Amino acid sequence: MTDNTEVMISLKDVNKTYPGAVPLHVLKGIDLEVRKGELVSIMGASGSGKSTLLNILGILDNYDTGTYYLDGVLVKDLTENRAAELRNRMIGFVFQSFNLINYKNAVENVALPLFYQGVSRRKRNALAMEQLERMGLADRAHHLPGEMSGGQKQRVAIARALITHPSIILADEPTGALDSKTSHDVMNTFRELNDEGMTILIVTHDPGVGAQTNRIIRISDGVIIPDSGIVTPDNICQCDA
Amino acid sequence: MLDLFREIFQSLSNNRTRTALTGLAVAWGIFMLIVLLGMSRGVSNSFNSHVTVDNARSMNVYNGFTSKPYKGYREGRMISVEDNDTRKIQQENRSHVEEVTASKQLDSSMVSTPKGYVNDDVWGKFPSELGKARLKMIQGRFLSQKDLDELRRVIVISEPNSEILFGKSNDAVGQRVKIMGLSWLVVGVYRHDWEKSSYIPYTTAMLLSGNNDKVSDLSVKIDHVSSLEDGQAVEKAVRGTLARSHDFDPEDDSAIHIWNRFTNYLQQKTAMDIMDMAVWLIGIFTLLSGIVGVSNIMFVSVRERRHEIGIRRAIGAKPKSVLLQIVAESGVITTLFGYIGVVLGMIVTGVIDMLSKGVEFLDNPTVDLSIAIKVTIVLIVAGAFAGLFPAIKATKVKPVEALRDE
Repeated sequence: MTDNTEVMISLKDVNKTYPGAVPLHVLKGIDLEVRKGELVSIMGASGSGKSTLLNILGILDNYDTGTYYLDGVLVKDLTENRAAELRNRMIGFVFQSFNLINYKNAVENVALPLFYQGVSRRKRNALAMEQLERMGLADRAHHLPGEMSGGQKQRVAIARALITHPSIILADEPTGALDSKTSHDVMNTFRELNDEGMTILIVTHDPGVGAQTNRIIRISDGVIIPDSGIVTPDNICQCDA
Repeated sequence: MLDLFREIFQSLSNNRTRTALTGLAVAWGIFMLIVLLGMSRGVSNSFNSHVTVDNARSMNVYNGFTSKPYKGYREGRMISVEDNDTRKIQQENRSHVEEVTASKQLDSSMVSTPKGYVNDDVWGKFPSELGKARLKMIQGRFLSQKDLDELRRVIVISEPNSEILFGKSNDAVGQRVKIMGLSWLVVGVYRHDWEKSSYIPYTTAMLLSGNNDKVSDLSVKIDHVSSLEDGQAVEKAVRGTLARSHDFDPEDDSAIHIWNRFTNYLQQKTAMDIMDMAVWLIGIFTLLSGIVGVSNIMFVSVRERRHEIGIRRAIGAKPKSVLLQIVAESGVITTLFGYIGVVLGMIVTGVIDMLSKGVEFLDNPTVDLSIAIKVTIVLIVAGAFAGLFPAIKATKVKPVEALRDE
């Protein structure tokens, strides 16, 4: 990469071992840089360490050695409170299984991150409505997750991820539970957000999804495969579908 | 704060059946506590309204028969207390005996007017009887020292007897009644739950009984006693005095009968205190089983909502806010349903109160505001406590693991 935009994510020699009778060395010195405004996918087989990497990037898990800077903030040995605060303000999560709270309607789900910032109910519901309108879901605002289709649920989840204006969106297999048409729509949504300047990192094993991102980072057996980079027709077919 | 309650309300109404069942256990516990407390309060109110420590500091001495031979006398001899025993008891037990009075029942109990007659006891008494018997004067006055000094033929009668003798609406005071063929002036009318005897001056009653020194019973007012042992010691001393003057064995309990109101009072009071404590214990333990229920349900709830807690943690909920939500949820369930129990308990004790009017052993079997406040504090603390351990468990939920299990 040659452009001079600011670095959003910077990992240097990150190692992670799960302790146990047989300690499991999952991440073996990960070096990774993601610049602001990038749309990146992380691809790898199950067991390759991509989920662990995502959890570390999402401040849901700790790492043992190395450094991780997120938008200029060193993320290391944080207290639970500080980690929660950073997750709340800097990261927007989108999960495969949507992870909406099933007894809350769309607006309430989208507004929930702001509840933990102490924003008043009236204000956060207004902001949530804005995000839902942006996702084209204004008419579904008062529906419960059970009353919506998978694509709608995922767009509600994206709206929830966007409401705090995070530094980065982390998506874990965002299309894994969707059909091809809906997957396509959701990926278009990500591309549109990326065009508006949002940094997005998608973890997937679906080459079709990877192909729609600007850069693919391949991870295998806890290390990043060096020549993975800008998407070319060649390296798309190397994927382990 | 309002937001927190909205969150709690949402998650509680999301699990209506579970919330209701949990609530029922707490409501039942509190309901039992209130009803039990109300009933025990009723019994002790009734005890307190009849006996106070002041009028309990006394002993009554009645005639009896000896059961042991003594100084050449055979057993089975009748011992009658006499007028001069009052002075002897007082002189020999100055440290603990404040006053000794005697009473004398007239042989005839017939009190009549041209309008009617009554046949309740007629007693020669001292002015202090007014307080001892807890009589309430509704017309005129009670006997005075002057009545006794001047051997007046005056009488104090009960309210129902006044109605029989003079009619319902007529003032009895100033009118006259006949006893033993003599005319008596009514000086007062009293009201009492069950007492209907007529009272005349003790001295007048003694005069009418001729030269006989025998009295019906003695009433010994005691003082400077505080423990059961004190009360028993005074009783023994009084018995000793009478044993010397009437020549009976001081160990012979049936020669004279002593009703020691003071030791009785202490024993009853101890019984009341034990009952009160037992009721609190039963109530608290009933409540405790409700609380354990709440705690249990909250554990289940935390377990069931692991995934939801994981989502909340991932999007920025701090451990503190998860803790607060679970504790507050438990507190809200306990307090809300606890109050339903309190209100139901109050209603039931209120109904019992209405139905038990005139029942002797129950007096106002309801709980007062201070108990309601105590119960409220107990509820909030208990509810928070019930939620604490499940809440701590909830904060230990790792978002990564919780998000993984569906």
